[in-house]
Amino acid sequence: MLKVENLKALYRGVILALDGVSLELARGEAVAVLGPNGAGKSTLVRALAGLLGSYEGRVSDGRIELGGRDVTAAGALAVHRQGLTAVLEGRPIFRYLTVRENLRAAGHRLPAGELAARMDEVFHWFPRLAERSHEQGGYLSGGEQQMLVLGMALITDPQVLVVDEPSLGLAPLLVEELFAVLARMHREKGMALLLVEQNARAAMKLAHRVYVLEHGRVVFEGEREAAERDADVMEFYLGTGAGGFLGAKRYRRRKRWI
Amino acid sequence: MTFFWQLLLTGVATGALYALMSMGFVLVYRATSVVNFAIGEFLLVGGYVTFTLAHFLPLPLAMLGALPVAFLVGVGVERAFVRPLIGRSVVAVIMATIGLALTLDGAAQLVWGPDQKYLSGSLPPVLLTFGELILPPRAFWSLAISLPVALGLIYFLQKSRWGVLVRAVSESEVAALAMGIPAPRIVTAVWGLSAALAAVGGALLAGLSGVGPHLVQLGLMVFPVTILGGLESVGGALAAGLIVGVAEALSKGYLEAYLPGISETVPFIIVLIVVLVRPYGLFGRRDIERV
Repeated sequence: MLKVENLKALYRGVILALDGVSLELARGEAVAVLGPNGAGKSTLVRALAGLLGSYEGRVSDGRIELGGRDVTAAGALAVHRQGLTAVLEGRPIFRYLTVRENLRAAGHRLPAGELAARMDEVFHWFPRLAERSHEQGGYLSGGEQQMLVLGMALITDPQVLVVDEPSLGLAPLLVEELFAVLARMHREKGMALLLVEQNARAAMKLAHRVYVLEHGRVVFEGEREAAERDADVMEFYLGTGAGGFLGAKRYRRRKRWI
Repeated sequence: MTFFWQLLLTGVATGALYALMSMGFVLVYRATSVVNFAIGEFLLVGGYVTFTLAHFLPLPLAMLGALPVAFLVGVGVERAFVRPLIGRSVVAVIMATIGLALTLDGAAQLVWGPDQKYLSGSLPPVLLTFGELILPPRAFWSLAISLPVALGLIYFLQKSRWGVLVRAVSESEVAALAMGIPAPRIVTAVWGLSAALAAVGGALLAGLSGVGPHLVQLGLMVFPVTILGGLESVGGALAAGLIVGVAEALSKGYLEAYLPGISETVPFIIVLIVVLVRPYGLFGRRDIERV
């Protein structure tokens, strides 16, 4: 469904943010991309969504294939039409639009009847949005804003949903609730899901496979079970390893990855 | 007291025209953060195109015909001047719109000459009276055309699907693109719409009192109006347009005899006072921020 081959991305022509990333996402599959700050996770999302240009970036090498088509140089609108919807980092809703208007904006291509039906579906997934449907997005809580932006993505009925850091800045209980809904949505709607997260514990509950990014490169890829068996992944991302934060062992491993 | 109401009525009529131009200015500012110094020139385009079309068409049709032409001028300006400057410094964009204004001024004088042009026909001289109050034809047409267009625009922005998209793109072009909203096309359309709104004013004035290079000066009224209403508020531009129009008319009626030229200064004095108290204007929106 989505295939990324040897992707390199630059900002302002000089800052290398992705250095040969390759990954695959099959139809109906859920894949987690983990990595620390500055690993290139958000750059990957922007590149997949055709939005790098909006951040003074560009793909300098490699290829992105979506549904068998090369979309490496396609703009955001073409990628969206091709069935990929990206939920960017930071809950990018329209703050001065009401919840309903946000959903209406996202579903602007749908006929009125279908739009109403999809809105009902979003309210079914996130009943809290229904209660606040006439309020401006800016006045929602962080969790509700995240629900709204996910709802906006869902209303377009994407074949591939890419979500960047949905847990960012949310309370653990809320993260759990949100990921439970994401898991159910993924299961019931059958869309391919690429979850880009720092919160490895939450992401790995949902993912079939895992990629770990570090300094713009994939340093681990494998099934979830393999990731759970990998000492590096467990130590760096789940904090269950043996060494202390500044331990020599940890440092050696980190060096090997980089 | 009749004199006061008379001035108020005339002021509202003039203010509706200011509001129309300012609403177009605000739309562009919201969608692109560009302060368009060429807004007066869009008015001029509307006036001159009406003048030219009136040679072949009845005046109402000539006025209507000026709108799509102005829309296309706005679209062309966005494509040729504004889009290439995306991401450049604010000063560069401001200088570009000032340069554009001067270019359009020069081009208009080259094509139509520097003299005042009068149309062969004019709008019917409708004279409405309400008791002792008289609504002169200029005020009638200004109100009859500007106010419905202004209210229609607000309705369009609030209720229509395209209006919601314009507001969405005005907030965040990147977020809009991520949701498949054709942001670049909407921004272009907003420039066209802004030019067409200003052109309504130009066409109206051409139909009432002819057209000449001085029309550009009316475009300057956009600045006190939008600052007063709030740079990002379309509804605020409507209210502020009416306030400025009324203030101008009242000062002309009551103060002009003692302080010649005061009516031209009053809008700016009001803006200065309001901005000191409310820096974001009377109806400007404060950023929604969760704490």
